[in-house]
Amino acid sequence: MDPEQGKGGPLDVSLAATEVSVSFGAERVLHDVSLGVEPGEVLTVVGPSGTGKTTLLRLLAMFRRPDAGAVEWDGTDVWTLSEDERLALRRRISMVFQEPSLFNAPVRRNVTYGCRVRRPWGRRIRNQLKGLVTDQSPPEAARTALRTVGLLDKIDQNALSLSGGEAQRVAFARALAVDPELMLLDEPSSNLDPRNTAVLEDAIRRASGRGVGIVVATHDMHQAERISDRVGFIYGGELIETGPPTQVFGDPEDPRTKQFVDGELLYDADESRDDPRDVLDRAAE
Amino acid sequence: MLVPIQVQLPDGGWAYIASIVLVSLEVSLTAVGLSTLFSLPIALLVGFTDFPGKGVVTAVINTGMGFPSVVVGLVVLMLLSNSGPLGALDLAFTPQAMIASQFVLATPVIMSVSLSAVEGVEQSVRDAAFSMGGTDVDVGLVVIKEARYGIVTAILAGFGRAISEVGSILIVGGNIVFSDGESYTRTLTTAITVEARQGRYEIGLVLGAILLVLVLGVNGLGSWIRSKGRGDRST
Repeated sequence: MDPEQGKGGPLDVSLAATEVSVSFGAERVLHDVSLGVEPGEVLTVVGPSGTGKTTLLRLLAMFRRPDAGAVEWDGTDVWTLSEDERLALRRRISMVFQEPSLFNAPVRRNVTYGCRVRRPWGRRIRNQLKGLVTDQSPPEAARTALRTVGLLDKIDQNALSLSGGEAQRVAFARALAVDPELMLLDEPSSNLDPRNTAVLEDAIRRASGRGVGIVVATHDMHQAERISDRVGFIYGGELIETGPPTQVFGDPEDPRTKQFVDGELLYDADESRDDPRDVLDRAAE
Repeated sequence: MLVPIQVQLPDGGWAYIASIVLVSLEVSLTAVGLSTLFSLPIALLVGFTDFPGKGVVTAVINTGMGFPSVVVGLVVLMLLSNSGPLGALDLAFTPQAMIASQFVLATPVIMSVSLSAVEGVEQSVRDAAFSMGGTDVDVGLVVIKEARYGIVTAILAGFGRAISEVGSILIVGGNIVFSDGESYTRTLTTAITVEARQGRYEIGLVLGAILLVLVLGVNGLGSWIRSKGRGDRST
């Protein structure tokens, strides 16, 4: 496959985890999970805290290789590709973390970071030198992204001086500014008030409308209901069930999903992580 | 009542003092420059990677900050002396030998403080750089930028250790002055010991004042850079 294929053209890529398993030492974090996102789709991964949602997103972002199974881009296992090919694929994805993780630099430098690292080194050095003597305006994509999250007026402010909510929105703008084909959002509204949560959800819907495939990890069922085309419920590192939000939340097939929907499954306790079937047994009783 | 100090300049006058200052700066700046080039990549490598024994390596680096300078001087002199393994280089009692000993003394300081600064950069910041399409080099550059104030502080601390050091450079440099009064391996600190031994306390005080101004200047620069780092976050 050509990692550059699709760049600038129609968004026709899909990213999937196929039967992936991940353990940290003796602790099993993901077990045999298969889940993928299609172009223009908003897939929300829900589940209690500590259940493996973030690990799944990090696998999809190619932070690490799964212990078993594959992460596939258009059907090709990304870990069979060369480093350069994988880098080219990574540059078609952007990710927002639960913590904003901004750099100690002005907002404009944060938002344009992804655009800068995508340029060839010669151009990057030339731009850096030019920036020393002239005041360069940030690319329009960065301004648009900041305008989308309502923070264009903060463009010259140091990112570390922003409030938690503002920082979260800048992190989202940073991910948006690279015009990604896929976005991975880990609890993207955890620091946001209801108004800015609505702004963010609107931006997510608009991005998916442009064909961007989006995976959102959240424990907020209401948000999942509002923005998702499809929901995957994950518990104890296993994908319990997947389907449209109306089905997963309205008529869940699995008792654990029902428990979660009813607010009875708030945390993924360590003892249950070892064998989620115990939880299933308890729920059946 | 204040009594003005009468300073009787030694042979060579201010030219003598200027040459001492120049040798001090030349030796210390060169040693710190070389040490920075050596220490930073190692600090980044240790800071970036996890490997068995990392704690031991970090402990060794930190322990190096407490090296007794006279012992360092003795070891460097043994290595560079005619009978030593590097004797063929004929570097004993030269400014190059002093640079070598100051390099050994400044390196643990620069490496340790830099390592601390690099490790202080949160993993989430590295993850953000990676997730935005950064290569390993890009992630490394982000870490250096994030740790820049700590790294500059490390370099200044290394310079402070080098310029104010006396034991090792006295041993490896020999505290030599040319017959015309110009310094060859005499620095501010070693000159002060000579002036004190000869009872010329006033000149010792002048040299001490110059040294103090240099060290204060370096510390002031460090404070300014650190405050700039804090200030950035509030603008």
